[in-house]
Amino acid sequence: MKNRRIKKTYALLLAFSMLVVLALSGCTGGKSAGEVAPEGKGDSGGSSGEQVTITHYTMDSEDRTFIEKLVPDFEAKHPNIKVRIEKAPYEQFDSKLQTLIAGGKSPDVTSHYGYGGFAEYFNKDMLLDMNDIIKEDGFKASDYSIPDDLMDIYTIKDHVYGIPVNMYVTLMLYNKDMFDAANVPYPPSDYEDKSWTFDKMVEEAKKMTHVSDDIAKTQYGVDFTWSERDMRPLYFGVEPYSQDTWTNGGVPSETHFDSPEVIATYNKLFDLILKDKVSPTTEWSKSVAGQNGDAFVTGKVGMTVSGSWSLAGSNDFPFEVGVAAVPAGGNDKIRSVLFVDPLFILKGSKHPKEAFEWIKYLVSEEVQEKSIDLSGGNPPVNTKAAEAYYKHFEGIDPEDVKKVYEGAVKYGFESYNHLITNYSQINDMFINEMQPIDTGHKTVEEVMPTIQKKVTEIIKR
Amino acid sequence: MRTIPTASPSASPSTNKRRRKIDAVSIASFIALVVTTFLMLLPLFFMVSTSLKSKKELLKFPPTFLPDSWQWSNYKEIFETLNFGQMYMNSLIIGTLTVVGTLLSSALAAYGFARYRGKGSNLWFMLMLSTMMLPYPAIMIPQFILFSKLNWIDTFLPLIVPAFFGSAYNIFLLRQFFSTLPDELFDAGRMDGCSELRMWWRIALPLSGPALATVAIFAFIYSWNDLLTPVLYLSSSDKFTLPVGMSSFTSSRFRIPPWHLLMVASVLAMLPIVTLFAIAQKRFVEGIVLTGIK
Repeated sequence: MKNRRIKKTYALLLAFSMLVVLALSGCTGGKSAGEVAPEGKGDSGGSSGEQVTITHYTMDSEDRTFIEKLVPDFEAKHPNIKVRIEKAPYEQFDSKLQTLIAGGKSPDVTSHYGYGGFAEYFNKDMLLDMNDIIKEDGFKASDYSIPDDLMDIYTIKDHVYGIPVNMYVTLMLYNKDMFDAANVPYPPSDYEDKSWTFDKMVEEAKKMTHVSDDIAKTQYGVDFTWSERDMRPLYFGVEPYSQDTWTNGGVPSETHFDSPEVIATYNKLFDLILKDKVSPTTEWSKSVAGQNGDAFVTGKVGMTVSGSWSLAGSNDFPFEVGVAAVPAGGNDKIRSVLFVDPLFILKGSKHPKEAFEWIKYLVSEEVQEKSIDLSGGNPPVNTKAAEAYYKHFEGIDPEDVKKVYEGAVKYGFESYNHLITNYSQINDMFINEMQPIDTGHKTVEEVMPTIQKKVTEIIKR
Repeated sequence: MRTIPTASPSASPSTNKRRRKIDAVSIASFIALVVTTFLMLLPLFFMVSTSLKSKKELLKFPPTFLPDSWQWSNYKEIFETLNFGQMYMNSLIIGTLTVVGTLLSSALAAYGFARYRGKGSNLWFMLMLSTMMLPYPAIMIPQFILFSKLNWIDTFLPLIVPAFFGSAYNIFLLRQFFSTLPDELFDAGRMDGCSELRMWWRIALPLSGPALATVAIFAFIYSWNDLLTPVLYLSSSDKFTLPVGMSSFTSSRFRIPPWHLLMVASVLAMLPIVTLFAIAQKRFVEGIVLTGIK
């Protein structure tokens, strides 16, 4: 009897202690994240006399860490500034950044290389308003040949929060070998060629598509992965997010994912897979190219619409590649999605002025040009350095790359993933909810009301 | 008396039959086991074969079983392109010290919990167990602040020192094992004037081979595979561990990952674990069986 009572007391004590421990740990985590972050705010520190060290936090992959090779040159030109490059893998990029900031070890310069986009950083109040520094420094985007409309992307209510450094566009890559085999003329690289439309693309894709029971013999005409799923209606001229999204830091007041117009656009896209059968299903792509692989690189897909980062790997593709304009889909103004990567100064930076010197160095014409080779094909934001970029790819006519880039800028819109808040959650939700359409278990009409409801919830978080 | 002779002639053919039946079953199960073994070995086979393929061959579809040309140079390349030797060394240092730390601290704490009854010892034990319920992300930031105040960022210390303060799971495992050791041994030790610490070192530890081997393997594998902690605490490339270095291969969303090099790295990274397991296998399996009964 006595024993049992003691056991009971222990059990109660145990339960209580666990609660306390859990609650305490929960508190510390949240509190420190919020409290410590603003530390060092307004502390512009480091006058030009003494030596200061700034940290550039970046993603650990070759096309990002090449900046380590630029550091000696920069330090020679700026003897009072030392640059330290800190890196983390893509998957852990955001967790490490959060921890560094909360731990009072905030880096000075970074970009949104993890899951979170600009809007997420901005709404978490992590970014420094660069207006004062720009004013003091006399920085003009035009001196660095950065187009004004690119500067606007990371400017909110006339406050600059990021300086663009790389610009990826959406383009079409095509497999010349497959075009030749099917006797189809190559698609044009000129955006002004109005005969190059979505419907024509489908027609040509049909000529290259062979669906067979033998997976090794199956090939498809086109893989249309224009931006992320939620942005695709824009390609056909339908805007699912309200206009105020782009001016108030990525929080839409309204979304229209269940409207008949939006549903019609998704039906058009899913018809490629389900009705015309010219595009592969996700399952097929996964089976030939691996979990996150791109089926195009296996040489089993004639055309792909995707980001220009695919171009960087083109020298290794086991077939001949060409670039073409994204066909016109009914939106007169927008045909290409831009992915402009900016550099931010974090609020926790103790040396924002020196950090800005480093940013200016990275966007200067000479360094932007050098970076193309060092990174293995990163597209510069500096329009003068861009000429060198167009010539970078083996076997692809520089004229074509240039036309595709210029057309993309003219008919471009910045990717939603940089602009809308809580984007990683929105994107995951879209992938999960649209899966049953891809496999034919549900129709677009059945799925869209749920998506509309969930988007609204996620945005409110 | 009569039943025995009548039973025995009829019994012997039946046992024969049964024996034959068992043989058929065992042959079938043997075949099934061999097939399963091959299935299990297939990914391993592909890992080794991919590690010897050329960059162009990686993209071939359908994939080839054996490389067209055997690229042994891949194994050289990984040491040249990536600071692979250094990373390997770092992982080994951290892994070994983690094992030493975990064994010493967990065994000592477990010995205390197993052999001494004091007021509230059960309560302390349960409190300790409750720390198992804390997920790492919950303590990530406070711990980072602590180590950053100690100026331990970008050193191996945050990865090694915590191991010297015991871990709940291992303490639990060892305590269960220590409590099965007969009291008489310790009484005898005490009679001969053996100190408590010496009894731990001379009696408890030598008798707990399987349990200690289990803990050692668990600790090593955990430390060897851990990615998040080294990512958080290490910032200079020459201090990176293997998982950190290897993740940089697939980190870029812009390139085709160099699968051949990744597979080379995986083959090499697997070696210490396989070796450790081969050495400790007998004891490890015993350990699992023993702890499974408890």
